[in-house]
Amino acid sequence: MTWIVWRQQRPVFITLVAGLAVAVVAVLVLRASMSADLVARNLVDCAAKGLEACMGPAATEFQTAWFDKMHIALATVLAAPVLIGVFVGAPLFAREFEQGTHALAFTQSVSRTRWMATKFLVAALPALVVVVVYQLVVHSWLDVAGQLGPLSTGEFYFTVFDSRGVSPVAYTLFAYTLGMFAGALFKRTLVAMTLTLGLFVVVRVVVGGVRESLITPTRLISGDVAEPAVADRGPLVVRSGYLDAKGNVIADPAPMMNCGSKADAQGVVDTAACYRENGLAQRYADVIPTDQATTLHLLEGSIFAGLAVLFVLGSVWAVRRQV
Amino acid sequence: MSQREHPPVLAEGLGKKYSRGWALRDCSLEVPAGRIVALVGPNGAGKSTLMGMITGLLRPTTGRISVFGDEPNGRGMHRSVSFLTQAKPLYPQFTVAETLRYGRNANPGWDQAYAEELVEKAQVPFAAKVGTLSGGQRTRVALALALGKRPRLLMLDEPLADLDPLARESVLRTLVQECRTQGITVLLSSHVLAELEDVCDHLVLLADGRVRLAGDVSALLRANAQHRTLSQLALAYMRMEVAA
Repeated sequence: MTWIVWRQQRPVFITLVAGLAVAVVAVLVLRASMSADLVARNLVDCAAKGLEACMGPAATEFQTAWFDKMHIALATVLAAPVLIGVFVGAPLFAREFEQGTHALAFTQSVSRTRWMATKFLVAALPALVVVVVYQLVVHSWLDVAGQLGPLSTGEFYFTVFDSRGVSPVAYTLFAYTLGMFAGALFKRTLVAMTLTLGLFVVVRVVVGGVRESLITPTRLISGDVAEPAVADRGPLVVRSGYLDAKGNVIADPAPMMNCGSKADAQGVVDTAACYRENGLAQRYADVIPTDQATTLHLLEGSIFAGLAVLFVLGSVWAVRRQV
Repeated sequence: MSQREHPPVLAEGLGKKYSRGWALRDCSLEVPAGRIVALVGPNGAGKSTLMGMITGLLRPTTGRISVFGDEPNGRGMHRSVSFLTQAKPLYPQFTVAETLRYGRNANPGWDQAYAEELVEKAQVPFAAKVGTLSGGQRTRVALALALGKRPRLLMLDEPLADLDPLARESVLRTLVQECRTQGITVLLSSHVLAELEDVCDHLVLLADGRVRLAGDVSALLRANAQHRTLSQLALAYMRMEVAA
């Protein structure tokens, strides 16, 4: 049975491997060229410490030359799952129904369930491996740029977060099973491809919007009301604002921040003093700390994995049902 | 043995309704073992629907059907049944040898030597891609795939429809020869009544979704002495149906 599916999926597999090979070579060439540039501009230390630690225009010039290229590479990691869903998942059963070859498969002694399971696994495994390898290669490039590259935007910036950890695998599983289910249900490749693309984008945007509520945030408090509670770009700020003297969140601090008329003789406003006078005692920020990024990856990934399980069950139902 | 107890196909009050209406209604029939059964009827009479329900590809709306005593379901076809449709679905990108390997992988009772022998007899090159074969060659490969499974019931839905007269003759001859020597029950649907003449010994005539005539061909001819051949008999019944 494995041979049959392998034989059917061979062109897809060759395309995946060829695509991966081209992409990996391109990334490695860019990585080598960028490493050389870092050395030439004497920025190797700087990459570890970040832009603020660097002197001179070299770091800025380096970013102008490389930052967008690296972001584009991240974008391709984000696009890989949906491509797998559209071009590997969607045609998996839809093409059989379109060609009429499902009638051939259904009239052999092998049960439909086993046929499905084999097709599912043999098509999915190479696709997942390709996504993981590509993800690792791209991140090996980003690591070289360090704090001069997109990683400086912090763990939680969407292009960084969505292309790291288990996320690409979870998205790929989701896209692939979504395509498979749509194909088994509607029996039309084009319909399945379109639905996969549309639904994938919608679900990713929606889950991406609410994922920060999956973790109870940690509250950081700053006694200096003029300064934000979080200085660096690492943690994900869920909410921020002001606390009164009792430590309660002030729902609408805007009227208490009206300090424009409190200028002294030189026209300088002591904002902090003015805020305290108005009753703004402390600043707070509810954040998800950087070290909880892995937890958030796993929590979000489990949502997509759960959806994937539902789609697999849906596909089993759709393929086994008799019309 | 279950095959003695259970006939290849037994239908009771079988009916199938599509959204456009009933395709088959109130169909009760038995396909006896070891016979070559002609399933005839005008277009839309319900022939393909009946075959679809025997394979389990379609689910009956009413009634019951059993195939060697088992009820066909969506999990997979009965091991002793082979099915060949008019479209003869095969993977066009597979070679002939790969198609036989497909049969071997997908069927535990597969007889590789026999399937290869059938392909050799048909003089189809093993290395050729199925998509490049002529209609006749495709049919012979599909037949080898169906027979290589060593079925006890072979169903053929319009297997000759897209073949030229020479290919029809050779396919039909192979079919009858193989099935007679191995005692395979055959259910064969066709529009061309003349070619069923010397082949079939049992007749099931469907019209307008109902069974109009069913039985042993020689017994039917004795009972309807005004018709001398199977095709005359079937044609007369179909005309009556259209007139009614």
